[in-house]
Amino acid sequence: MKVLKFGAAWCPGCIIMGPRWKEIEAEHSWLQTEYYDFDKDKEAVEKYNINDTLPTFVFLDKESNEFLRLNGEVEKEKLVEIIIQNKDK
Amino acid sequence: MKIGLKKTIFIVFLCLFLLIQSIEAEVFPVNAYFFYGDGCPHCAVEKDFLYDVLEDEYPSLTVYEYEIYNNRENALLLQNLAEQLKLKVEGVPFLIIGDESFVGWSNTITPGLLREKVYECSVIKCPDVVAQFTGNTPEIESEPEIVEPESEIDPESKKETDSESEQNKNMITLPFLGTVDALSFSLPILTMIIGALDGFNPCAMWVLLFLISLLLGMKDRKRMWILGSAFIIASAFVYFLFMVAWLNLIIFLGFVSWIRIVVGLVALGGGIYSIKEFLFNKMNGCKVAGASGKKKMFERMKSIVKENSLWLALGGIITLAFAVNLVELVCSAGLPAIYTQVLALNALPAWKYYLYILLYILFFMLDDLFVFFVTMKTLQMTGITTKYTKVARLVGGTIMIAIGLMLIFRPEWLMFG
Repeated sequence: MKVLKFGAAWCPGCIIMGPRWKEIEAEHSWLQTEYYDFDKDKEAVEKYNINDTLPTFVFLDKESNEFLRLNGEVEKEKLVEIIIQNKDK
Repeated sequence: MKIGLKKTIFIVFLCLFLLIQSIEAEVFPVNAYFFYGDGCPHCAVEKDFLYDVLEDEYPSLTVYEYEIYNNRENALLLQNLAEQLKLKVEGVPFLIIGDESFVGWSNTITPGLLREKVYECSVIKCPDVVAQFTGNTPEIESEPEIVEPESEIDPESKKETDSESEQNKNMITLPFLGTVDALSFSLPILTMIIGALDGFNPCAMWVLLFLISLLLGMKDRKRMWILGSAFIIASAFVYFLFMVAWLNLIIFLGFVSWIRIVVGLVALGGGIYSIKEFLFNKMNGCKVAGASGKKKMFERMKSIVKENSLWLALGGIITLAFAVNLVELVCSAGLPAIYTQVLALNALPAWKYYLYILLYILFFMLDDLFVFFVTMKTLQMTGITTKYTKVARLVGGTIMIAIGLMLIFRPEWLMFG
């Protein structure tokens, strides 16, 4: 499973989610994550059709198919629950 | 001997009769000229006091009332009196008894002063300086009435007893704080609550978050502290200036009822909007559309923070704090405007107004200070999550609706102490 994180420097919600993801990544070292800047990584932004709300978190399975998308600020507990439930995907 | 005794008894009774007669006091009629405005809360309190309390205590008192907001003739009369009698009329309520005038109302001071003056004029003939202008028959010129000495209670002791019982009625016992006067305690509490709720306004927070995220990338801790603190102090100063300006505008316009009603309606509207947002707006991220302003602001901030000269960076940060906060005032003007209206209703001395505004700003900045200090200490980005912002919206919305209703229907309930 892989999580793609889309954010922007000018978005307060993205700033708040930064340390939350940092903690999750430290606690679940097997988890693969990639960060894309909305203003710089135009290719990825277009590919995943990010055009409404930031931050956006796209959850991909082993075949790189999207199985979940979350927008806005998300509680750490909720993210951890999703990650553990879908660990083998 | 028997005749002598009868004579003695007669003389004793005569002396007693004369003594009782001498105890009965001469009481002169007293005229009070009361200038007020419809919708002015302090005027309403003073009016109730004059008719319900003072007239009962002193039957010799006659109150003549003159409404000046809607009655041009009365307003001109007051203006004429001010010119002719060299009176300093700074607003209403304005009361003239004898040759003395009383401006404004204070629950703790005015009743005692008025009692004292009416008592003085009913025992010593006071000159009625207004009668010649109003065309009233100066009742003061009529023969003094002889009344039973029912008002012979010493006004000083009566005043003290009344104010003591009034004060006891307002005393409440709180855990940790002991017994406090509820009235004098309410305004500081309201100030702290509204200030803190205003601080959770996301408009006020996002610029600081940007700045902190940029500061965290620096290696120079001292520079981080200086720039961050300068931004917070400059932001607080802009907010202070705005609130003082708004308060002075409200005081300058006087207690015109429609302004109070408009602010009350704004509070009602703002409160309903906040509760609607709490209940129905589940969106807690940043909209991509229309974010160009934020992008520009972020870029400008980035260039200021990266400035090599500390002084230039400092100047840039202070200028930015002024600019950002002035723009963001549009977003967060609701609560400060409502609060300053409540403050104006309390007719305080100028220094107290400024102290209350400073207290408001201290609580307004609390969350910013918390975020800044925690981040600087831990060097980890900290922010107030939308969960708390949403709760603040619910509480703030409820308070705004309550204050809005009071401003419209019961402004006197917002006059503390």
